[in-house]
Amino acid sequence: MSLLRRYAVLLRVQLTMSALTAMQYRADFLVRGLIATLWMGVTLVPILIVFGARQTVAGWSFPESLVVVGWFTLLHAVLEGAVSPSLTAVVEHVRRGTLDFVLLKPADAQFLVSTAKLEPWHVVDVAGALVIFAVAFSKLGRWPNLPAVGTGLALLVLAIVILYSIWILVISASFWVVKVDNLSYLFGSLFDAARWPISVFRGALRIVFTFVFPIALLTTYPALALLGRLDVRTAAAAFGGGLAFAALARWVWHRALGLYTSASS
Amino acid sequence: MPPEPLIDVRDLSKSYRVHKRPPGIGAALRSVFRRKYELVHAVEGLSFQIAQGERVGFLGPNGAGKTTTLKILAGLLYPTAGNVRVGGYLPQTRDPRFLQLITLVMGQKQQLLWDLPPAETYAMNRAIYDVPRAQADETVAALVELLEIGDLIHKPTRQLSLGERMKCELVAALLHRPRVLFLDEPTIGLDVSMQAKMRDFIRDYNERFGASVLLTSHYMDDVVALCPRVVVIDRGHLIYDGDLRELARRIRPDKRLTVRLARPVDRADLERLGTVVSAEPAQVVLSVPHDRMQAVVRGALEALPIVDLTIEEAPLEEVMRELFGARVREAPAAPRAHEE
Amino acid sequence: MTTGGMTTAPAAVPRPPGFAAQAARALKALPTLLRVGISEVVAYRAEFVVWILTTNMPLVMLALWHAVAADGPVGRFDQKGFTAYYLGVLAVRLLTTSWVVWQLSMEVRDGTLAAKLLRPIHPIVSLAADHVSAVPMRALVISPVVAILVAVAGDRLLRHDPVLVAVFGASLAGAWLLIFFTMVLMGSLAFFVDSALGIFELWLGVHAILSGYLVPLEVLPGWLRRAADVLPFRFMLAFPVDNLVGLMSRRQALLALGAQWGYVLLFAVLALRVWRAGLRRFAAFGG
Repeated sequence: MSLLRRYAVLLRVQLTMSALTAMQYRADFLVRGLIATLWMGVTLVPILIVFGARQTVAGWSFPESLVVVGWFTLLHAVLEGAVSPSLTAVVEHVRRGTLDFVLLKPADAQFLVSTAKLEPWHVVDVAGALVIFAVAFSKLGRWPNLPAVGTGLALLVLAIVILYSIWILVISASFWVVKVDNLSYLFGSLFDAARWPISVFRGALRIVFTFVFPIALLTTYPALALLGRLDVRTAAAAFGGGLAFAALARWVWHRALGLYTSASS
Repeated sequence: MPPEPLIDVRDLSKSYRVHKRPPGIGAALRSVFRRKYELVHAVEGLSFQIAQGERVGFLGPNGAGKTTTLKILAGLLYPTAGNVRVGGYLPQTRDPRFLQLITLVMGQKQQLLWDLPPAETYAMNRAIYDVPRAQADETVAALVELLEIGDLIHKPTRQLSLGERMKCELVAALLHRPRVLFLDEPTIGLDVSMQAKMRDFIRDYNERFGASVLLTSHYMDDVVALCPRVVVIDRGHLIYDGDLRELARRIRPDKRLTVRLARPVDRADLERLGTVVSAEPAQVVLSVPHDRMQAVVRGALEALPIVDLTIEEAPLEEVMRELFGARVREAPAAPRAHEE
Repeated sequence: MTTGGMTTAPAAVPRPPGFAAQAARALKALPTLLRVGISEVVAYRAEFVVWILTTNMPLVMLALWHAVAADGPVGRFDQKGFTAYYLGVLAVRLLTTSWVVWQLSMEVRDGTLAAKLLRPIHPIVSLAADHVSAVPMRALVISPVVAILVAVAGDRLLRHDPVLVAVFGASLAGAWLLIFFTMVLMGSLAFFVDSALGIFELWLGVHAILSGYLVPLEVLPGWLRRAADVLPFRFMLAFPVDNLVGLMSRRQALLALGAQWGYVLLFAVLALRVWRAGLRRFAAFGG
């Protein structure tokens, strides 16, 4: 069986396991769905408050900022539904000493670990994001053209890759420092800043949010793309940087695994 | 010409850094800024070979390095020095073909998915190990029957007792018919009857499929029941490699004579026969060198009001205590009782 | 022959120690629990740093409002006002939050709670000791924040009104207790539902808005602000901070202090009730 086909089969198996697990706790499933919906409402409050006080902030109008929030919601859905639960499970494995079982399987450890657990109720957020986009563009009085949408979606994929890579780096850190529950919250709190356009930040925070946790790439650039204001060179640079980052994350993962296997007992 | 050993270990060593912190607030605060490290030698200069189909037990006190050795053989830890080959592969490369060859079962830890029935874990493992469906079904059916777990594999894992979970765990671990079984304290926490069932199962499996079994345990019963050959490790060093009975006879050449008496007897009379291990009014245990056993038994039958009489080897627990206790008192340069 | 034994009534079951006795015993063990708590905090130093970094929302919001207020104040807040406010929020927040909910919810799930129940110390007391022991370390951590606050906006801070300063001290203790008991209450939900953490995260979102963490309460739109004024969230954060940065009169501060401690009592009672109910359920179902 070719490698691609084999991993496609494995992916299907992992997805099935997650779905079965989610359905085991039916009541929990419904509550979580409800919470996800409510959370979306809560997400909108800050931007409503800020634009209640002013018409534009750092050169961004209310509907334009809504577009950023829309991307933020979409990414949040992917993050909380797919990336975060699986990788949190790794920390649990390390704590319980069952990561060894993952390493003993004849399949790529990073793949197994990344697809282990998914939370399907976050699909609600995707619907919410689309609503937010609709509201924003109706307020703007114009709609994005096809190339803009295409670039936006491509940047979405890039954003997911970057988020995932950051998560891999965080999880690799958990091999050194076993008790890292808080890292997922740190991650979430940094990600939270992505609801704002990058131009709001100056000085030290701007540096952090450009190089350490690149929220510009995550939400501002896709928003600019949809608004038709992103030039090709910036987009290309973003892609290059993002892919390099993903490669770096994979390398760090390997190093971390190497350290785990030579340091633990 | 003897065949290539399945497992070949030469001069294996493993050390790692551990940070030390004495108790107390001052030390705690200091450790925020600077940490002291200590080098721990888990395993040093270990060498042995294991052939296909053998059952070998690794014995040793806690912290001796047994689990470390097992994990190195499984590829989960990198050795610091030395040569390790399992089935011709270098374990640390984690070649998928090597991983198909082996399995690891750890006591009190499961690979079973917690929220789902074991059957789902079997389905997942089937996909991961790429086992043809027909073969997998056959294997599961055979193992389920052998282990007598029946319908349990369809109940969520979290609803099973520890013993039931370990049995289901064995099925998951053996689904891909590995040729080498690494068992790390598999019976820990199980009740006595479950331990016995597990041992029987492992022995059956080994005899039926010719799989090699490496077992670490500090339950003597596990080792006695399963392993004709033992490798004794203490503080990272190999102390003995060979037959268990032979080891016992060497460490404790005395046998035990247990007599049940009709009425109490003078201690002096007992001491004339041999060393008294325990003396209750109705039952006495004597330790007697085995070459003197016949004479002592004759003497006892003549002198004592005997109701019943048993002759046994020294209990292995005592042998082990003697073996490891002796190491503490020995000078570092003392020769080890090492067998080729 | 006679059996030789007398039938006596079984010895009376010893009565459980009264509250005073329990409290005395808890107090005796407290220093040790505190010391161990401090060692734990120090041992997990990386995690501690991570947690501090997680509380970055005030800085992000400060950047935002700084940009907004560039061309004019928003209500009573000019750029310096926002700076003072958010630094105050950072300091108070770092000093008063606790991780009770995560801890409880994990212990209930793991079953480690069962082990704690066997100890002769009330689990809530030991929980409180755990969290109180973190306070000295945190005070150390926020000292640079406080230093910056004083340097940047010292003239805005509490005037030398001893009453207001005293109120501030009391309000910090009140905030800590209110947060602690609210979290015990939410953590006890873990006895009843699997998704206690999800509910808690939602609560955190609401709390961020209504407690002054996200924005000063004055900036909230009318109806939301009126709600925030009376709900308990305000007394966990906005009240001590508003007082600290000189936004409250003496009368307002004293009234708020009364309300705060009223809430502390209310939530203390609620938390213990729900906890006890949860424990009964835990014991019935084995967790």
